[in-house]
Amino acid sequence: MKRVRILMAIAAAAMVAGLYLTLTSPTDRLQGEFTRIVNIHAPSMWVAFLAFGVTALASILWLVRKTDRWDRIAEASVETGVLFTATGLFTGMVWGQAVWGRAWDWADPRMASTAVMFFVYIGYLALRRATPDPVMRARRSAILGAIAVVQVPLVYFSVNLFRSLHQTQSIRPDGATMPDEMVIALLVNFLAFTLLYVALTAGRVEVAKAEESRSGETVPAGDAVATPLLSEVEDV
Amino acid sequence: MTFWDQAIEISRVDLRVERRMGDVLRIILPFAVIALLVFPLALGVDLSAITELGPAVFWAIGVLFGMQVALRQAADDRPERRDLYALLGVDPAARFVGRTMSGSVLTVGFMIALLVATFVLYSPRLPSGWPGPVILAVLLTAVGLTELGTLAGEVTAGLRSRTLLASLIVAPLAIPLVIGGSQTLESLTRDTSILPWLLLLVATDLALAVAGVALARPLEEASR
Repeated sequence: MKRVRILMAIAAAAMVAGLYLTLTSPTDRLQGEFTRIVNIHAPSMWVAFLAFGVTALASILWLVRKTDRWDRIAEASVETGVLFTATGLFTGMVWGQAVWGRAWDWADPRMASTAVMFFVYIGYLALRRATPDPVMRARRSAILGAIAVVQVPLVYFSVNLFRSLHQTQSIRPDGATMPDEMVIALLVNFLAFTLLYVALTAGRVEVAKAEESRSGETVPAGDAVATPLLSEVEDV
Repeated sequence: MTFWDQAIEISRVDLRVERRMGDVLRIILPFAVIALLVFPLALGVDLSAITELGPAVFWAIGVLFGMQVALRQAADDRPERRDLYALLGVDPAARFVGRTMSGSVLTVGFMIALLVATFVLYSPRLPSGWPGPVILAVLLTAVGLTELGTLAGEVTAGLRSRTLLASLIVAPLAIPLVIGGSQTLESLTRDTSILPWLLLLVATDLALAVAGVALARPLEEASR
């Protein structure tokens, strides 16, 4: 747990630095203060992609090595990824309402494909909850985790593949499409969110270990109370 | 028995079970036609809107109910049958391919029946030369849906909430199929190339086929 606390402290320091740069960096002439949302929105989506990529890798490693560690990492990474996807979707909707005049625009395939990705991983978590046996749960979710990652490139490249309202990548190999101060603020936030992801995932892995040590003490929902059979009921 | 002999035999058994149980013909198809009826009733008697909506409703209902064809009760092997296949030395990949073949036959039949019902109920305006590309898109969508349904069915085999959970897994992953299928018709209407959308369907089908065959053994272990 000490390792998790250290990671949390480093992530918190980086988040404070990111927040400071977000609040002090210049704003876009047209978007005004709403420009700052990109410093939460873009890093959240980056972390979501990273989290689902790590899940796929951990799932494949579980299928190859069958060690609990990879299953715990896959589970922790999905939960963190779902949290950051929800944050990315929400901040995108707030920005859309302010700049496009509507929170949800069907002319933006990235919004729709991100929502689809979100539900794929909600399905992953539902599958885990529905499978009581730990080995069976690890095996089934590893298969789904390895397949579900195909959504990530689809979401990322959707702005390039389809006609879209969504802007394309702002930082490209041929240079950035915004001033240096904004680029620095964005990059610091990318780093801060990545550290936060690492800390949250490490913390969730510890929680999973604690849950496993208590396994057997709980029963799946619906199994806790069994309806008595008529043949077992004595006359009263 | 070769790999393909096993796959064909499993497919034949599946189709025979389906002929006896009639899940698709007696339950899923009538339910899908009811869903086709619900849309115009909810929309009100606006004939031009109904005509306009026809193709979109066909693809939406086709995909949502098509996955139920892949997840039907008859396609859920009992543990005894799974053990029998394992003892007989049936290749898990052949099981996946056989199941996909039988499911595809049923899903194509289901979607063509649904297409006919859409014509009758919605009278959609379609561009000339539509039958070939649309039937090809239906075929590719059906194969992809069956592959996805077979994968999800195996992953959720034996769980109490199998049908609901598998639907939750399949529905978002089927989005490329919905886009590919519906945009094929849209491109025909706009007189633009349908090739990218057919390629999207082929790529999705191939990716799912590779995933299904590559993961066949862990899938078999997961479902027993």
